[in-house]
Amino acid sequence: MAKKLMKGCEAIAEAAIQAGCRYFFGYPITPQNDIPEYMSLRLPQVGGCFLQAESEVAAINMVYGAGGAGARVMTSSSSPGISLKQEGISTIAGAEVPCVIVNMMRGGPGLGNIQASQGDYFQAVKGGGHGDYRCVVYAPSSIQETVDLMPKAFDTADNYRIPVIILADGLIGQMMEPVELHMNPNPVLPEKPWAAQGWDPKGTRPRAVINSLYIETEDLDGLMTRLNARYDVIREKEVMVEKYHTEGAEYILCAYGTVARVCKAAVRILEENGVKAGLVRPITLWPFPTKAVREVFEQESVKAGLTVEISNGQMVEDIRLAVNGIRPVEYMGKGGSVIPSAEDIAERILNMRRA
Amino acid sequence: MKDYWVLLGSFGSGKSELALNMAIHAAKSGPCTLVDLDVINPYFRTSERADVLEPAGVELIMPPFALDKIEILSLSARVYSVFTPGEGSVFFDVGGDHIGSVALGQYKPHFQNIPKEKLHVLFILNPLRPTAADLDSAYATIEKIQLVSRLSVTGIVNNGNLAGETDHTHLVEGYELSKALSEKTGIPVWGTCGTQRVLDAFDAYAKEHGLDPTYIGQYQPIEVLMHRSWDKFLSEGL
Repeated sequence: MAKKLMKGCEAIAEAAIQAGCRYFFGYPITPQNDIPEYMSLRLPQVGGCFLQAESEVAAINMVYGAGGAGARVMTSSSSPGISLKQEGISTIAGAEVPCVIVNMMRGGPGLGNIQASQGDYFQAVKGGGHGDYRCVVYAPSSIQETVDLMPKAFDTADNYRIPVIILADGLIGQMMEPVELHMNPNPVLPEKPWAAQGWDPKGTRPRAVINSLYIETEDLDGLMTRLNARYDVIREKEVMVEKYHTEGAEYILCAYGTVARVCKAAVRILEENGVKAGLVRPITLWPFPTKAVREVFEQESVKAGLTVEISNGQMVEDIRLAVNGIRPVEYMGKGGSVIPSAEDIAERILNMRRA
Repeated sequence: MKDYWVLLGSFGSGKSELALNMAIHAAKSGPCTLVDLDVINPYFRTSERADVLEPAGVELIMPPFALDKIEILSLSARVYSVFTPGEGSVFFDVGGDHIGSVALGQYKPHFQNIPKEKLHVLFILNPLRPTAADLDSAYATIEKIQLVSRLSVTGIVNNGNLAGETDHTHLVEGYELSKALSEKTGIPVWGTCGTQRVLDAFDAYAKEHGLDPTYIGQYQPIEVLMHRSWDKFLSEGL
């Protein structure tokens, strides 16, 4: 399809529909309102169902229901709304139900602001809800990449029966860019024999139970063993990472999402100043590209790393775990939606070099 | 008697961009007021460009709190002041789609007193936006907007563009859609809008391929003031 001029939120919604999503349940909050707005227009046109729930809690439980019945289903929100959904996300993870959750991060904590932020890294990557579970987390850095990732997000959710989070920010949601969508009017969805799609009393089909309650210790242990085995496969197969000018670099920038785009500009500024710098950009935040990060830092040329975030320093912890002390890793960034400039980042590296 | 220009259209069609450009141009020949009537979107408001409007001599009327980055967008009582007698021009930059046009409805008693030749209601059309990409959706939008705004559209503006990647082919797409919409509704095409470079290329194409000037209207060159490239985002935020 030829390029269209689309707002990030609209493009994500359309890409979800092209990936076979026919159900959307949500509740308004800025800066992601354009997703439910677009879904409310488009889903009825493709025989789907849009419903504005009475709250975020209701919305995520509708997602649980539709996902449990085998449908491709999505919800979206922004930071405070995602907090409200956490109990439901934990339930969905425990019940092994696939779904896609979009978080257009805004500033926090509390109500924060309506500007872009990366303050929800811990929440998305380390849990958010209670219990031992994981969500696959994709962190796109442009509208086009978000659109390209949507079919993958739904496939990953279905393949592993796991909630998948698209962790973007207000910039990606509100920006308007030329974007190319991959139109797919008749998406073929995988078989879901486990889904609650009706019971056959003749016994040709087992009764499907969608549930996250395992009272007996051995039963819960069974779930945990099953989930852990699945998480290991995901860690093995689903890692996505971009390395930009990292080969032979002296300084390694680490960033995800929109900030990574700023870092690329910083890399170019540094190269113009005769400094070899590169960028490691995790595209999946979980599974985290631990091996790829370590390999980049193991190069003899590397002196130090710098993680840049629009937060008070969250991903830097995972970068340091991956680097495991073989090189120093500094952090640069601010909470409160302040986006560092490419010049500031380059200056920081130049200062590290002088020290 | 003031000239009143009301700019309507789908969300993201380029209303604010055109409103800014037209207001700045009009301010060169007389008093000019720009009313930011967008109650839909807390981002990308004409009000953000007070930095270019004020030096150009454009009076800006914006919703209280519009620049506080909060979500409560109400309309200023000052809007009524533009309907007092006087000279010059007044531009209304309205929120997207019929939802945004609702804000206009309440001013019906004032608009109906303005003589027809002084009230210009322009429907901005960009076929590169998926919500206005074909005749059916553009027609549905214009119908709904007229219903809730309680105004009749007097002209269609071809604003075919793909932001920073725009070339004349996008205006050709816009020409085809504007022509079809004009034929269906009987509303004339008021003009064709774009940067001077793109307009020149389009004009050459139009002459070569014999496009009907009736559906091109006047050329309205604009300078890009609203749309933000990635670099502008980084320096200015949302």
